[in-house]
This record gives sequence, C-alpha cells and structure tokens, in this order.
Amino acid sequence: MNRLFLNSYVSVYIFSEAVSLILALLLLYITIKAIIKWDFNSNSKEQYSLEKSIYLGSITSHFLLIVKFILLVYLVYTLDAISIYIPGAMCAAGVVSANSYGMAMLGVKFITIFLLMLYVTFEKYDLEAKYYPIFKQREYILLVAILSIFIEGFLDYSYFSNINLDAPVSCCSTLYGNLEGHNPLPFNLDIKSMLLIFGLLFISFIILLILEIKALIFIIAPLFVAISYYSVVYFFGTYIYELPTHKCPFCMMQKEYYYVGYFVWGTLFFGVAFALIWTISKIWLKVDYKGIKRASILLLTLFVILNSSYVLIYYLKNGVFL
Amino acid sequence: MKKLLTIILTFAILGVVGVIIVSLAKKDAPIVVVKGNKEHKPLPIKLHKTNDTQCAMLIETEKNAAEVVSPDGRTWFFDDPGCMVLWLKDKDFKEKATLWVKTLDTNRWVNAKEAKYRVDYFHSAMHYGFGAVEKDSNKTIDFNEMSLRMLRGQTLANPKWRKKILGK
Repeated sequence: MNRLFLNSYVSVYIFSEAVSLILALLLLYITIKAIIKWDFNSNSKEQYSLEKSIYLGSITSHFLLIVKFILLVYLVYTLDAISIYIPGAMCAAGVVSANSYGMAMLGVKFITIFLLMLYVTFEKYDLEAKYYPIFKQREYILLVAILSIFIEGFLDYSYFSNINLDAPVSCCSTLYGNLEGHNPLPFNLDIKSMLLIFGLLFISFIILLILEIKALIFIIAPLFVAISYYSVVYFFGTYIYELPTHKCPFCMMQKEYYYVGYFVWGTLFFGVAFALIWTISKIWLKVDYKGIKRASILLLTLFVILNSSYVLIYYLKNGVFL
Repeated sequence: MKKLLTIILTFAILGVVGVIIVSLAKKDAPIVVVKGNKEHKPLPIKLHKTNDTQCAMLIETEKNAAEVVSPDGRTWFFDDPGCMVLWLKDKDFKEKATLWVKTLDTNRWVNAKEAKYRVDYFHSAMHYGFGAVEKDSNKTIDFNEMSLRMLRGQTLANPKWRKKILGK
C-alpha cells in the first residue's frame, strides 16, 4: 500500500470517496430497477414501493452532487497539502502530474458534477410535470453519472496508489513555465491574439445566450473554456501572482493568493455548465429556465471581471503592465 | 436591439475565426520532430530553432545533444541525454528506436546505447551531469546505468547526489 494513504488528508478523502461509491452503488440498484420496472399507470404494490425508492434515489443523487462538489474542492486542497511529500512538487500542479491518472481524475470529476447537475434539472422538470414525462430519459442520465462516479473511484485509487514518493516530479514552473522557444498556446497564438479571442468569445457567448442561438453555444462553450484556461494560466494568472514568470493553474488556490483560484475556476466551470444545461433543457425539454441562463451570464461576467480586475489593479498601482 | 446584437455577434465570430487562421498561418513555430528519416541516421540540429521535446528548451549546441529515431523514421531532438531517457521511458517503441548522442570528447554522433557517460559533467544543458563520451574511464558509466540513475533521480540536479559526486 502506498504510504500516502496514511496521510490524514488523503485518508479522509479516500474514505469520503468510498462512502460516495457505496451511495452510488445503492443509486445504481434503484436506477436500474426503475428503468426496468417503472410503469406510472400501474397501481400495483411494486410500483408504489418503486416510487418510494425513487424518492430515496432522488435524495441520494442530490446529496451526491453536494458531496462531489465539496470533495472536488477538498481534493485540490489535499493535492496542494501533500506537495511537501513529493520531491520536486511545489503545489498541486506537480502532484497532479506525478502520474498519468492525475489529469484524467480531475477531468472526470468535472464531468460527474456536470451530469449530476443536468440530472437534477431534468428531475425538477419531471416532478413539476406531475406525470413524469421524461422519467426514463432522466434515469439514463443518472445512469451515466453513476458510471462516471465509478470511473472516478477507479481513477482516485489508481492515482493515489501510483504516486512514487521517491521519484522527483516537475514543479509548475517546468510544467507551465515560460519555456524558451516553446509555444504552449493553442492554434500557435501569441498572448495578444489569445486575449483578443478571449474577449471576442466572451462577447459571442453572452450574445448567444441572450439571442438564444442554441446550436452555436455547443461550439462556442468548449472553445471559450479552452481559451479561458490558457488565458488564466498564461496571462491573468501572472497578475494574480504579480510575477511574469509564474504560470500555474493551481498556485492561485493557495492561502498566499487568498484562495482566489477557487473563484476563478468555479465561476468559469459553473458559468459554462449552467449555459450548457440551459441549452440542453431548451432543446430537449422545450423549457426555458431563465434563472439558469441569468446565473450563467452572471457567472461568466464575474469570471471576466475577476480576472481583468487583477490586471487593472496592477496597472493602477504600478503604472505598467507585467 | 436584436439586430445590433446579431451584427456584433457576426463580427465577433468572424474575428475569432480570422485570428485563429492568421495565427495558424504563422511559420515561426520551432522544430519539434522531423519525419522521414528512414535511414535512421543522426540529423544536423538547427540550433536555436529546434525544441527539446522533453524539457521544451531551444537547443543551443549540438555538444552532448541527443536524438531519438523511431522505427517509422520520426526524429526527436534533446539538449541533454537525460531528457532523452525521461522522454523515452514510456514510449512503446523505446526498444526498437535508434538513439544518438554527440560526444564531448570526439565530437561525433555515436549510438547512445554504446556510448559511455561521464557522471560529473555539470555543464550538461539540464544539469543532470551526464556527458556522453566515446572513451571509457573510471568516471564513466554505460547507457543502462545512466538511464537507471536518471529515472531514480540520481543526477547532479539532485543536491544530495551532487554533493556525493562533486563534493559540493
């Protein structure tokens, strides 16, 4: 067994994930039973007991959504905390790159949260409709979310058990730093053109949401996420750290930077996730959740304002850009 | 209002597409890999314009540089034999690849698996300390030993190891 499992942060995390896996198992049983046996028109005892277990499943999925979100934040905090045990790592960036499971694990966690959010939205619609018109569809979404939770569990275990505490890893400066001659930005962009695209994509995204051009949102959203990621790491982040050579997506989640990274990445993730959920609801359910759309616009705007304010404040304080 | 927003949206999307096309058309990206080296020979390195694939630094000198040629003729370049070892460790063609290093003593490209490596060459590009040479001595190790030490982190970049080897 990897010695890391004895670390209190890691053991608490693994234990919590194990509990969520057990809940996911229960949910899997309820969901499969519901998909096979659900018949809303039936008055049988079995249907009555199924409706009761669906209620339990509903509470469990809501609970899992909250737990998964808290655990994601806690995981990042844990990765940062254990960086002192891994030679070469100075923040969560080095720890995540300690093996090939790290980034996959983080990616699947975001997918799980998104799927659970989508399920909760669909469930809300289904319950309000009284006759459960999309019952099976929402249960299929839940099934995919449960599958994602199991993949997450596998990746969690594989990741932590494969961290070699004796092998040095790269620090964030090596992973994301200003490497001579190497352009890490997509499409061979330079910083200026990347910022131009960032601004244009933000404007496009907001207008698409206002004008409700749904098909284009699916194209612009992933592009905006990718460009935002690079913009934060390679431009806005340097103003958060007030150091032109410090390029890291994780260090900003440390105490020294007032944990601002959680807000930066949180507003981006939830802003885009809400936009996608609104679009899917609009296309699939033909229902317009204006609150979700407004929340998305608000969060995306907050994301841009938060990042830009660091640049502006730095300029006002020092009279120059980095 | 709707008309105005549509016009702004059209220009914004056109702007995004335009900037991406212009950026992709730029040809100043450094060389990372050269295809078609079917003879598996060492290729001359275009200094200051070629990237080390592992550490992503531009290669400044051929001295102690390394190259990996995959069975299909793709060639990657490295500024330090240590970088080559790190990059190669998880490649499925690592056994079949042809490896080259430019030696410090004879200034020739030699098969990296047959070369010897000084362990105290502090001026290696990444300060791992391994300097490729052709002549064997009591301060040199073979390729397998160098690879093992590299993967174990027993390099001059490791302060404890540096003290052991160099005494400082």
